[in-house]
Amino acid sequence: MTGGWRKPVLRHIFSVQPRLWRYGINTGQAAIVGVGATPYYFRGESAPQTIYELIGKAALAAAADAGLCITDVDGLAFYANGFEPGLLTEMLGIPEINFAATVAAQGGGSAGILDLAAMAIETGRAKAVLCIGACQQSTRRYGLTFANLVATPNGIWSRTAGLTGGPGQTFALVARRYMHKFGVRREAFAEVVMASRAYTANRPGALRRKPLSLDEYMASPMLADPLCRLDFCLETDGALAFIVTSAERARDLAQRPVYIAASAHGGSGDWGRSFFWLNMPDAMFTSAGAEHTARRLYQQAGIGPADIDVALLYDHFSPLVILQLEDYGFCRRGEGGDFVQSGAIRHNGAIPVNPHGGHLSEAYVIGMTHIREAVEQLRGTAINQIPNAQFALVTGGPAPIPVSGAILQN
Amino acid sequence: MNIEIATAPDVRDVDVPKDAWTQPFWDAAERGELLLPRCVNCGHFRWPPGPFCPRCRSQTVAWTAPGAGQIYSFTILREKKDDGSVQVIVPALIAFPGADGVRLIASIAATPIDHINIGASVELSWSPAKNASIPIFRVT
Repeated sequence: MTGGWRKPVLRHIFSVQPRLWRYGINTGQAAIVGVGATPYYFRGESAPQTIYELIGKAALAAAADAGLCITDVDGLAFYANGFEPGLLTEMLGIPEINFAATVAAQGGGSAGILDLAAMAIETGRAKAVLCIGACQQSTRRYGLTFANLVATPNGIWSRTAGLTGGPGQTFALVARRYMHKFGVRREAFAEVVMASRAYTANRPGALRRKPLSLDEYMASPMLADPLCRLDFCLETDGALAFIVTSAERARDLAQRPVYIAASAHGGSGDWGRSFFWLNMPDAMFTSAGAEHTARRLYQQAGIGPADIDVALLYDHFSPLVILQLEDYGFCRRGEGGDFVQSGAIRHNGAIPVNPHGGHLSEAYVIGMTHIREAVEQLRGTAINQIPNAQFALVTGGPAPIPVSGAILQN
Repeated sequence: MNIEIATAPDVRDVDVPKDAWTQPFWDAAERGELLLPRCVNCGHFRWPPGPFCPRCRSQTVAWTAPGAGQIYSFTILREKKDDGSVQVIVPALIAFPGADGVRLIASIAATPIDHINIGASVELSWSPAKNASIPIFRVT
């Protein structure tokens, strides 16, 4: 029942430019050559390792994977406030740094580290950029984002309205409006979670692996109606690192290169502070705020949604997967519920989504696991390999701008 | 089964931070009036109150009553209290047809939760914080 969704008429809504050369119009000169990760731990279980120890292990593994030495690294790219470059160079004995930058975002910037790395490589500022993402939620619990915020004149409203938890509570407001506007039911959210769980059944490192039934989903306690506990992502400790270098150099290294065909961070100004603001224009309110990024990525890569073989969509909350499918043109606005319920995001569906199990079932390391999965899919080494995957879409979190995304290509 | 009633969150210990641009809102709130900042140059309502109109960049505002509000969206939170009881809190977005573009983040109170729907008309009342009156709403 999924064939009808493929190759949709939607392709023309993105003004797709003809591709000028193999790797896109103005990018593709940078490639991901190394991937490293720690095990994924439930919140608190990574102790007594510090977050810098986790980062160091991931960074060394990424260098080894690439066939490089960590001392070859001369650039650093971060997001979500980043880490201390000086401490990292001291800790790992990196001899020189020629580039160090942080995407000015939280989870929205995760895929944006590839944008920074590609810029550093394409402009010749650095030769090998180490991209790092890590979290240790025993020290900084993202689900209590609002409680941790210093109250400001513009930000006090969440507190006075009783929204003292995190983005899940405010995205519940988005989810309810979306359900109301388009007649979407919780069964659609359930399918996103069940699909993610189907993907983790065979993944030893995943934190939630037990198959999930619709009855079990419906029995899950409501945390922020209409979102139940299973609509919320995991809370994880872990670190991942990637090494980006030039396409030319990549060809001589240990792994099959994965080229950055397109990368972007930014967004529509109307999306603004997103779930901290909630005053987006009506049409944008029931979106993931990613249309602007989608357009830029497709234009850069010279392709459209029908060309994407696998989508790694930032899934902090299940409804946001559906809204991103709409923003990125995999289905029409308002049809995302029917689309996922048709089986479209499963392994043999129109657009497989998060075959690693995503934040909902594998682990939550703020978007990093999605980049790892994209690389493994394009190397052809993924556990749930999509046959002949050539293009992978990776997104950063629907969150305050800048939001981000990348299209990777083998 | 008991009918659940939405109640306002306890904000008595909340110290509302204010600045020059939000102060008039809180001053009006002390008088029991809900006023929103409207651009004198182009008529656009801006929210939250800030130094520039996002449409025309003008700075001057007229504090204007927006008229009746409606529920734009809401969520339902159930918080377990120390005595074992459960408090039902309904954070909502309140839209004002008379002030296009403004949505207040505020809670619904004193309303059975099965009366709370998107599009429902609401009336205003106030909940005391440490240094401010917080707008809350009841479905009419």
